[in-house]
Amino acid sequence: MAASGVEKPRIVITGLGGICALGTDVSAIWEAMRAGRSAIGPITTTPLHELKVACGAEIARMPDHGIEHKRLMAMDRFSLLAVIAAREAAAQAGLSLDADASARAGAVIGSGVCGWEMIEDNYRGILLEGRPRANIFSVPRGMTGAPSGQVSMDLGLRGPVFSVTSACASGNHAIASAADQIALGRADVMLAGGTEAPLIWGILKGWEAMRVLAKDTCRPFSADREGLVIGEGAGVVVLERLEHALARGATILAEYAGCGLSADATDIVAPTVEGPAAAMAGCLADARLAPEDIDYINAHGTGTRMNDEIETRAIRLVFGDAADKLSVSSTKSMHGHCLGATAALEMIACVKAVTDGIVPPTANHRVPDPACDLDVTPNVARVREVRAAISNAFAFGGTNATVAVKAYRSQ
Amino acid sequence: MSDELAATIIGKIKTHAAPEAGEITLDTRLDELGIHSLELTEIVFELEDEFGIEIETNAIDAWSSLSNVGDLVEAVRGLVGTRA
Repeated sequence: MAASGVEKPRIVITGLGGICALGTDVSAIWEAMRAGRSAIGPITTTPLHELKVACGAEIARMPDHGIEHKRLMAMDRFSLLAVIAAREAAAQAGLSLDADASARAGAVIGSGVCGWEMIEDNYRGILLEGRPRANIFSVPRGMTGAPSGQVSMDLGLRGPVFSVTSACASGNHAIASAADQIALGRADVMLAGGTEAPLIWGILKGWEAMRVLAKDTCRPFSADREGLVIGEGAGVVVLERLEHALARGATILAEYAGCGLSADATDIVAPTVEGPAAAMAGCLADARLAPEDIDYINAHGTGTRMNDEIETRAIRLVFGDAADKLSVSSTKSMHGHCLGATAALEMIACVKAVTDGIVPPTANHRVPDPACDLDVTPNVARVREVRAAISNAFAFGGTNATVAVKAYRSQ
Repeated sequence: MSDELAATIIGKIKTHAAPEAGEITLDTRLDELGIHSLELTEIVFELEDEFGIEIETNAIDAWSSLSNVGDLVEAVRGLVGTRA
């Protein structure tokens, strides 16, 4: 790390996996992102009871995953999504782990909530239907560490495996923490990302109470934005020590450049400009990148009045004149705010932007907002070289995490 | 009684077994049912409710010594007999 003067190993990204409302694999997700196609719509897959909120970004149909009944019964939806995304990422990376290699491979999958499916079923069953006891899988399904454990079991990862949680920044904290395991020499390969399945009455009811949900859709940076839309999904990247990837002849998609972590230390929900700015500045320093080196920012861009304005100010504070040269977008306009999974899905957008030279747009943008006066790539993708990109995640709790990726060059 | 008990238990197991699990008899091995060990314990809990019996043991270890459906039937029969 630059701050300590210790030389860190280079870490590269060799696989991507994802599932969300936009599609059940990375190619479908990226195709939709490029097209600026929003997957936000009426929630149909879960009983809403008397909820006022009726729109979300749901996975309308699960792919045929072939996971056996016995294992499926022990998995809440957020674990299943994580396993599906992790399998795709591991397959793209071409990982084949023998006994020695598996001890040097691990997983950090973040979640902001937990597995709520069974919890909800228990409350309804016990309190409304008079069921005598909770489902026996309640604990192993609900625990926040379950997705990491399930991914490790599915892929045979026997190295560092754990979850991290920081609400809506969980995905980025997971990626940063997984990279640290490699930097600290504890692993050669880490699967990292986030997962969330929050389209459940009890969770949506909580969000409804906060009055931050949009009625129809998510319009980040648009002057007529009304709030966020909750989505579900999972995203996973394969992080790998460069030498390890080269030795096994892996295809390198991009390089993990660094991260910046900070906390507002002020309020549990109201963000500051300084906290997010510190995360972005810290990320640039860790990645040894100048503001001019960044071509794309995947913004936190939730579509709330406050976030989008404050994030704009924070970006201007850190990037100065360079802020007007870079492209910004919020892909939450398309896949919704997937809470603990969202930063991991947005990492897919950043890596694909770097590899394909395409900036995915901010969909549903209608009216320019003077308070959000960056190039927010409204509605249409932009073709441009993306040498490096950063992904912002700023959470309730004031916990901020920014991750940078850059094009891989051998030198 | 014995046939009725066995039929009840097999009926319960069927509602939990993997869709691809075939015919279930007293000789069917529990590990061939495609049922997680914890779910097997849940079946036993349902039988507790049904027959008014109680098993005082750790849920995870409770049934590790059982190998087939017949063993489960006999174990429950023993507990029901104790109660009677």
